Amino acid sequence: MTEASREAAPASTRGRPAAGRPRRVTGRAPGEPHRIAYLFLLPGLVAYVVFTLFPVAQTVRLSFYDWDGITSKTWHGLGNYRELFDSTEIRAAFGHSVELILFYAVFSLAIGLFLTALMMHSHVRGLRFFRTVLFMPQTIATVVVAQAFTWIYDPSGPLDAFLRSVGARSFAKVWLGDFTWALPAVGLIGTWISFGLVLILLLAGAQRIPQELYEAARVDGAGFVREFFAVTLPGIRNELLVAATLTTITALRNFDIVYNTTSGGPAGKTEVPSWLMFHDAFEIHRVGLAAAIATVLTAVISLVALGISRFYTEARQ
Amino acid sequence: MNNRRWRPCGLSLVVVAVVAAVAAGAGRANTSASGANSAAQNPFAHYGNITLNVWSADNQDPGPKPVIVALANSFHKRYPNVTVKLKFYGLTDYLKIIQLGLNSGSAPDVAEGNQGYGTDSLLVKAKLIRPLDAYVKQYHWNKYFPPGAMAQFRWTADGQTYGKGPVWGVAQFGQSTGIFYNRTALKKYGFDPAKMPTTFAGFDKLLAQLRPKVPSSQPLAVIGDKSGYESMHSFGLVQGAFLPASAVRNWIFHAPGASYDTPANIKALTLYQQWFKKGYFGNDYNAVDENDAAAAFAKGKGVFYLGGNWQAQVIHAGLGANVGFMNMPPGASGKYVAVGATSLPLHISAKSKYPDVAAKFIDWQIAGPQSARLMYAQNQVPAILGAPAPPKGNPYMASLGKGWQQLVKDNGLTLFPDWSADTMFQFLGAQLQELMAGRKDAASMAKAVQSNWEAFDKRIHKK
Repeated sequence: MTEASREAAPASTRGRPAAGRPRRVTGRAPGEPHRIAYLFLLPGLVAYVVFTLFPVAQTVRLSFYDWDGITSKTWHGLGNYRELFDSTEIRAAFGHSVELILFYAVFSLAIGLFLTALMMHSHVRGLRFFRTVLFMPQTIATVVVAQAFTWIYDPSGPLDAFLRSVGARSFAKVWLGDFTWALPAVGLIGTWISFGLVLILLLAGAQRIPQELYEAARVDGAGFVREFFAVTLPGIRNELLVAATLTTITALRNFDIVYNTTSGGPAGKTEVPSWLMFHDAFEIHRVGLAAAIATVLTAVISLVALGISRFYTEARQ
Repeated sequence: MNNRRWRPCGLSLVVVAVVAAVAAGAGRANTSASGANSAAQNPFAHYGNITLNVWSADNQDPGPKPVIVALANSFHKRYPNVTVKLKFYGLTDYLKIIQLGLNSGSAPDVAEGNQGYGTDSLLVKAKLIRPLDAYVKQYHWNKYFPPGAMAQFRWTADGQTYGKGPVWGVAQFGQSTGIFYNRTALKKYGFDPAKMPTTFAGFDKLLAQLRPKVPSSQPLAVIGDKSGYESMHSFGLVQGAFLPASAVRNWIFHAPGASYDTPANIKALTLYQQWFKKGYFGNDYNAVDENDAAAAFAKGKGVFYLGGNWQAQVIHAGLGANVGFMNMPPGASGKYVAVGATSLPLHISAKSKYPDVAAKFIDWQIAGPQSARLMYAQNQVPAILGAPAPPKGNPYMASLGKGWQQLVKDNGLTLFPDWSADTMFQFLGAQLQELMAGRKDAASMAKAVQSNWEAFDKRIHKK
């Protein structure tokens, strides 16, 4: 992530040449003791340690114990981790998360990119309006979204009614209760939520691309596709990185949508690590095991985020 | 969210109503006698003005909640220095907070728990609630609950062995499962609702006869199974025709030799799976939860609803006099068996400063001078033996009461199978869903359930 933020910095100042690194370096008052800076950092640091680092460390510590949340803990060594890696249920949950990345990140990035390309290629009237409408899913509470989709997917809901009305009766099904379709159905909700955010990020980046570049490309005879790969895509690389990281993390830590639509069902087919973590800690009182899942999930998310930023750094070079 | 699913088994019953009436009558006489006395005879007067905090997850209204509220008010009237402060929660939320609530500095004096290894086991183990044996004696609670029924409230002090040891709570409502039937629908499909089958085989045959007559878009029997646990109720109705209730209870209590993987149980699971293959339950049950399913039945969907009597009021609100209730007719044993138990047990916090007031409050709830009457008014079944008979002129309430009594008399309440392990609510529900969908056969499903049970057994007995 550090690399990511370092990369992102110049991007955000693009087009404003005055704000560069050199100024920052020389901008310090002469003779001012540098160490005082740490004092100013202290409040933030304390808050970070108390509210972020300490709970994380505490969770890692708990993952080595067997604890019901109330009575005294007993040391359990790597027992929780062994159980985690042995459990087909927990492994399946991580597998479901990977599948959700496809919906939360890949699909929404694809849609976002396509719409960005479209909007940059031709002048869209009322861009602001579309932007607002397309961003809406991000602003609605996920519980509300989940309820709405539960209704849409209901056997007596509009989706099945539509399928039946166009003669696709055999495609109508109990979406959220179907062993095969429940996970994709949940994933599509994620796509719907994510693509608005992706679009806004990408559009913001694309709008900073100097118009002259598009004009030059067109003069050179570039079509829609060419223009996208030659101008738009390189111009929004950093935004793409941010969007990919955010949506992937959202996919991996998905809890609210699953909890409010399927609660992991049918028969565990939509269980994801966050949901299991909640279930283990609060429903069956196995805090140690839940902490182990949390630790592994945090590690996985960090690695994936790091991997994405690496991938982009290398792609740039 | 009334997943009473796991609710307890109650036992009570009004079993031999007459005998019981006599016994209870005696107990109650005391209460009313003291009620007639002046406040000077208030045994709790020395506490001065106190507040009794009570937490409950019986929040259905209409249903149990108004009963509890009315009894709390009459308790205050009888003991004016005691103010009862009630707090209601939805069950699934409640079960996540109750152990923390009882462990906190502001623990309630009286709090409902939940039978089984999921909740009560921990409350006992963590010493958050107190054993009630002294009050069982003082208030003669053992007359209200036959030994089989009392077992659901017993734990050894380490919270590991279920069904034995001190009593830690008692409860007021009887909750059992059975068959709700829509009289109008039965008549429409050419069956006289006055001639409901009296054997399990007869009911199985009736389902087969009716299925072709009911449009294929409709289920014949409505269930909800979105959360998975609901199928434990309808399966229990089939299971009861093949094995005695004690087999299921022993399994819940982790008695030596108990197993899910037995030939009789596999037979029951196989038949249950066939009911799905034959389309008796339609195809949308995985998308509908218990409450929605009961509400849909109340609006005329299907012919039968297989589920708990805690939905009685909801169903009645929709179907009125067209709804009937009966237990699943018995199998070869001739005995009634079904999933059922009492409602959530009322516990006394280990931190309560007024345990004697709390115990009196619990007694007031389960057998107070007005409790049975108030319960009947909400179509709730009193759990205790010897409760007064339901009022005449309410045949529906009478059938609900009779259902509970038959089960108690035959010792046929299996309790709720998910009590057998903290994982079972989730696991057994998921396994039943696999079975229903035809993704697993009965034998391999039974084996998987048993190995989950054994893993839990090892976990609790290792310590």
